Amino acid sequence: MKILNAPLARLCAAAVAATALCAGCANPERSRDLGNPAVSGPVLARQACSLCHGVTGVAGSPNFPNLAAQTPQYLAAQLGEFRAHSRRDPAGFEYMWGISRRLTDAQIEGLAAYYAAQAPARQLPAGDAAQVEAGRVLFTQGAPERGIPACAGCHGDQGQGMATFPRLAGQHADYVVKQLRVFQRSDDRPDGAVMKVVSHNLTAQDVANAAAYVQGL
Amino acid sequence: MKPSRSRSVRNGHVVVGACAALVVLLFALLPRPAAAIPLFNRQTGQNCVACHAGGQFPELTNYGRLFKLTGYTLGVRTLPVSVMALASLSKVADTSKSDDPGADFQKNDKPILAGASVFLGGRVTDNIGAFTQFTWDPYAITTDSGKFKGTFTADNMDLRYADRVVDERHDLIFGLSVNNNPSVSDPWNTAAAWMQYVPVPSPTSSRFIDGASPYPGLSAGGNIAGLDAYVFVDQLVYLEAGEYRSARGAFSFMKAGLKAADLTRLRGNNPYLRVALSQNWGAHSLMLGATHMTARVYDDPLDTSDPQSVHRFRDAILDAQYQYLLDPHAVTVQFVSAHSRHAYPAAQVGLPAAFVDASGNALAPTSASDKTDLLRAKLSYTYQARYGASVALFSLTGTTNTGNQTSGYDPLTLTITSSASAGAASTRVGGNLSGNPATRGMTYEAFWMPIQNLRVGLQYTSYEKYNGARDNYDGFGRNASDNNSLFLYAWTAY
Repeated sequence: MKILNAPLARLCAAAVAATALCAGCANPERSRDLGNPAVSGPVLARQACSLCHGVTGVAGSPNFPNLAAQTPQYLAAQLGEFRAHSRRDPAGFEYMWGISRRLTDAQIEGLAAYYAAQAPARQLPAGDAAQVEAGRVLFTQGAPERGIPACAGCHGDQGQGMATFPRLAGQHADYVVKQLRVFQRSDDRPDGAVMKVVSHNLTAQDVANAAAYVQGL
Repeated sequence: MKPSRSRSVRNGHVVVGACAALVVLLFALLPRPAAAIPLFNRQTGQNCVACHAGGQFPELTNYGRLFKLTGYTLGVRTLPVSVMALASLSKVADTSKSDDPGADFQKNDKPILAGASVFLGGRVTDNIGAFTQFTWDPYAITTDSGKFKGTFTADNMDLRYADRVVDERHDLIFGLSVNNNPSVSDPWNTAAAWMQYVPVPSPTSSRFIDGASPYPGLSAGGNIAGLDAYVFVDQLVYLEAGEYRSARGAFSFMKAGLKAADLTRLRGNNPYLRVALSQNWGAHSLMLGATHMTARVYDDPLDTSDPQSVHRFRDAILDAQYQYLLDPHAVTVQFVSAHSRHAYPAAQVGLPAAFVDASGNALAPTSASDKTDLLRAKLSYTYQARYGASVALFSLTGTTNTGNQTSGYDPLTLTITSSASAGAASTRVGGNLSGNPATRGMTYEAFWMPIQNLRVGLQYTSYEKYNGARDNYDGFGRNASDNNSLFLYAWTAY
């Protein structure tokens, strides 16, 4: 009884009682449960995905891509690819396979719509003026003499993306560089097989220039 | 018999080394995504690098910090069990300056299974989760006959209720933590409970490795019971406040396995306060923090009848952590400055010192209080979460107190002797002749993680000062540098 009278024990007992009461409770409006179909896409975006990608899809760390204003078709396709384990670049399987494994189609649609509706990320270009200009030329005109098409042809004249061709505008340069390497050097993104052909002749400098440019779009 | 025993030890080295090499090779050949995964990995489905900076345990990334502060609830409920095991070998520079090296350095230069842990925890509900650890330490106790005896005890415990209210404008994470160790609830690796090289075998088996060197600690110690409330506002301001007391009654599981004589018994409630400012920009993350705790610890855990028989500790700690995390690089800089004031029970103050000076004159009586200052800093780098290296420094200074002398001149013989028949016997190897705690040194480490579940590391700790002196710190001629230690380990978790 002496122990029960202690303020700390009373508080703890209250906490334990609250725990017991809540043990069966779900809180789908603020849940981080990745296995509950009742949790909506936007709730998952705020409660779980935001840990890396930011609440509005603007990721603070260049380790993680900005998702804000991304095309919903691309977002849904990528989440499906992660869930099916067909996208298997290292960052993909390390971070995304597990997160996406139980997502329902409805949750994926909800997530895609959530991020597509966010205001796009605004960043400064990632290099000096000459590098950004070289990137602009590559992005808008390509390098026909080397068989490299203009990025804008599929990704939009402002890099805004088109359907399953992702938005590149405002994307972290570091992420763009790493993904272009994935396309060039591996078959880890089979859905992006077209990029393997497109990026085949890109030099490391081309990649850096294009990434520097699109970050500032 | 002796040659045959040393041959068997050598053979043991070869066998253990060969087995270790085979295991490492087999693990290295496994594809990384197929590797088995511990509890939290199963829950989130993510690799260790998502939560741990460059795969260095226990240091958390920003994601890991948020995972912890939201109560370990992100993910799907899964088998709530993980296990961890550690094999190691430590070798101290000099074992000759001891009249009984066999007892003082029992496991020196011998490969040992240094310990193992079982973890229970993970997501329970949308708001409740846990992280609990129980550890088996085969070298926890040295018996009178000089043999080691193992224990299986409660280690870190953190049970949480957490919630997060977040929208485009605000982000508020708040919760409660019931835990058994002040600052174990903290999400930053510079907190006293987490600022350490991991893994750490029992000090009794590896007495001078980094894990046994001075670390910032809250004097209340572990295996007590506390309730903390915390908020993390806009991922910018972190506040935590709580109270700790002895683990009794319903909270006895917080001290499970520990003998009464080994427990920390606290008088009443003992406040804990933590403030931290955090800022992330790009691949960078910076935290500046402060911790304060006062604790009243009974002198004798077996006798708490006298409320005056308590040690009063006041700890004030400043810490800072910088991380640069951009695959494949992870850089971390950590800094801790800890100030502690220790007031002794009145019955231990002003007592005649047990030892005398070389001429037989009495030494100053024991002090009423001690102050210590500890500086600890670490710089680490990992590449691809696979190869890592770090360098760390530690510097402990403090007041001199004859009450802390464990070596000195025996008043009967005016010699420094470890003889049991002496009036005041001195302690070899671990002894303190000066009564001053000053200990300073550096630790260097390189490690390799062939897969995320296995780490092999080599650590070297060098001492410039130990127990208040560079030379002859124990009165028997042992120098600080004699304690320089090499530590090789293989750590695995599933």
